[in-house]
Parts: sequence; C-alpha cells; structure tokens
Amino acid sequence: MKINSIKCITATLLLVIGLTSCNNDDEGIIIVEPTLDFSGTFAQEDQMGRPGINTVFSATPDIENNFNVTIPSEQGAAFQSLFETQLAGLHSAFGATYENNILNLDITTLTTVLASDVLQVAPDAPTTYFDGTNVLTGRTLTDDVIDVSLILLFGGQTGDRFNGQDINNDGTPDLPILVTDGVSAAGETPLDAFPYLEAPHGI
Amino acid sequence: MNRIKKTKLFIIGGLLSIGIVLMAADHLDAPAVGGTTADITDFYAFEGANSDNTVLVANVQGLLAPGSTAEFDENILVEINIDNDGDLVEDLIIQAIPRNGTMYFFGPYRPSVTGLNSTINEEAQYLGQVEISTGANAISSSANGISYFAGLREDPFFFDSSQFNAIIGGMAPNGFNNPGNDDFDGTNILSIVVEVPNALLGGTFSHPAGTGIQVFNTWVEAKRKQ
Repeated sequence: MKINSIKCITATLLLVIGLTSCNNDDEGIIIVEPTLDFSGTFAQEDQMGRPGINTVFSATPDIENNFNVTIPSEQGAAFQSLFETQLAGLHSAFGATYENNILNLDITTLTTVLASDVLQVAPDAPTTYFDGTNVLTGRTLTDDVIDVSLILLFGGQTGDRFNGQDINNDGTPDLPILVTDGVSAAGETPLDAFPYLEAPHGI
Repeated sequence: MNRIKKTKLFIIGGLLSIGIVLMAADHLDAPAVGGTTADITDFYAFEGANSDNTVLVANVQGLLAPGSTAEFDENILVEINIDNDGDLVEDLIIQAIPRNGTMYFFGPYRPSVTGLNSTINEEAQYLGQVEISTGANAISSSANGISYFAGLREDPFFFDSSQFNAIIGGMAPNGFNNPGNDDFDGTNILSIVVEVPNALLGGTFSHPAGTGIQVFNTWVEAKRKQ
C-alpha cells in the first residue's frame, strides 16, 4: 500500500503519461495534458463570405481595410453605394453602362446583395455558387466562382456581353474577353471523402 | 489608329484611373491583413459525402510554395459564423485555434457576444481537436458526428490572376486569354475543414434573392489575440 501511494505521488509530480500501478492491475491510464491557454479577447482582422467581394469592389486600400473590420449586418449601409459607384465606374471605363445581368438584377440590387459579404448555404438543396439552375446555395471546391462573378458583373442580360466578339467581322476581336478568365476547374481533383482537399504540392 | 483601338486605350486608361485591383478570391487582401497569418484566402461550404452534413472550409495564408513550412499562428482565431434567421448576425460559431501542433475546435455554439471581438468558451457543448497535418497524409478526427482537419493542402482555387493584372495594367487589350493560365496551380494553403451534421447548424430562412430555397448565412473571420 505504501509503495503504491509513493508511485502515485511520483507519477503526479513528474506528470508521467502512461501506465501506472496505483491499482496493482496495470490498467489505470493517466493522461496528463499541459494546461492550454485559450483566454483573452480576439479582435477581427479579416472577414470573408463570398469570393472576391472586397478585392473587386473596394476601390481604395482604406475601403478594403474598413470592409474587413465591418460586421456583415453593417456592411450594406456602409458599402452598397460605394460598390455601386465602383461597378458603374468599371463600365464607364469601357464606354458602357451596366446592363441588368442574367439574374435580371439592376446595379443597385446586385450591389445590395453583394455588399453583405456572407455565403448562403442550403442544407437541403444542391450546394453551388451557380450551376445554371441553383444560385448562391453554397460554394464547392470546383465551382468556377471567378467566371460566375465576371458574368454577373459584366455579362449583361445574355451573360456574354464582353466575350471577345468580332463585331466588324475582320477576324480580330473588337471587344475584350471579360466574362471568363479561360481557366476551368479541370485541373482540380478534390477527394470524394473528408477532408476533400488534395494533398499539398512538393511533399 | 482606328476608332476601336482608341476606344480600347480609353478603356484601359479608365481602368487604370479607377485603380481597380481584382485579385484572387481573397488571396491578396487589403493592405492591413494581406500576407499576414490572419489573411483568409478562401471560404467554401458544400454538402458532404454524407448528405446530412455540411462541409465548411476556411483557408488561410495563400500562395505557399511547395515545401513551405508555413504554420498556423497560435494568436489567430479562425471563426466560422452562422446566421440562422437572416439578420446577418451570428447565431452560432465554430472556432479553431492551434496549440502545439494540434488544432482545437469549439462549437458550433451560441456566442455570449457577437461582433468584432470574440472570446473562446472552453465549456462549449461540442469540442474537438486534431493533429495538424504537415504532409501528404491527411490526419483527421471526429467527435459528436463532427469531422475535423487542419493542415497543409493544395490550394483548390483557380484563376488567371496575372492576366487580369495585365488587363488592368494596359498590357492586354483583348482581355483574358482562351485558354488562360491557372496562377494558383502548384501552390499550397493552410486549410481548416469541418464536416458538421446539419442538425447541429441551426435553422434556415428563405433565400434573400427570392429563390425560395431555405438557407443559412455563413462567413469566416480571422481574429488576433489582443
């Protein structure tokens, strides 16, 4: 009894992890973890819901910084008009004005939706950023969010407004390609099971 | 110089004057956070292999070269927020923070306060932890039906960001190329993945875009210990 007590005390003092013989049966496993410190206050530095919103719509570094430290419930009031000005300016630079997009959203409605930077997720419906049928119900690893965003911003009612068209049929494109970056998800092969993301390169 | 070419130059000049910087999903963020350990690069949310679950992925520290030994920052709390009633205020949070090579998870749970500042409730109902993966092998764990992963992964994002920069720099009057080049091919990120039973993620509301689909809102935040 005395020996066992000494063993127990020793185990505690030395933070021994593993088997001890306190009960003379070699079954008592004592795992002693160091105390972990999760205390304190954590202050926001970055925020993201949908891809690219801040970097596309915030015209200046100050706006970008402010957007990241604005909670979603206050983003619409603070940034919608700035985003609308930005999107209108982009079109002005192309000598054009914004045209209602494939979702028939006018510029105010579109920027109102996008200014609140959260991602909608459907737990009981197909999850996709946009698959031609379902829209903004999630974001999969292979959703082409850049092309979807470009189409919504620059594609107009057809989704194809600036796509390298050769208007005068001289064999040379007269309009820039702005509705697709020409990169698809073909190079991405996510796993079918958790954790879904591919192994890192160069390991 | 024909009219169209002049128009293109005008367009390019206009873009430059606007100073647009369209970057990756969020890979190159605002100056205050870009390139730091608090820089969120991407956020994904999709149905799991088990259709009763939703997978949430938060990636940080983008554009890591192969062989990079970048690590999660023990001072950075990654917090996934869930809004169940559409008021854009978090009703549930899932927090992740590393300690000594292990990622610790708290939630989903209802935070005592919402907004820019957070604390960690160590008594949250759902707790988990997983050893941080540094190699090809993905170490995962699970508790209460929730699966956990944290570690180095291939960046699933794809975008011809350099061509876009060329466009706004006046070097590409024809816009993007067909095909373009994926500038994120061959790069890694640090990823946090949780797969959560929908039953633990709270209620839903009708999609704000009027599609009639029932949804919740979600977003991710990076918060630094003060």
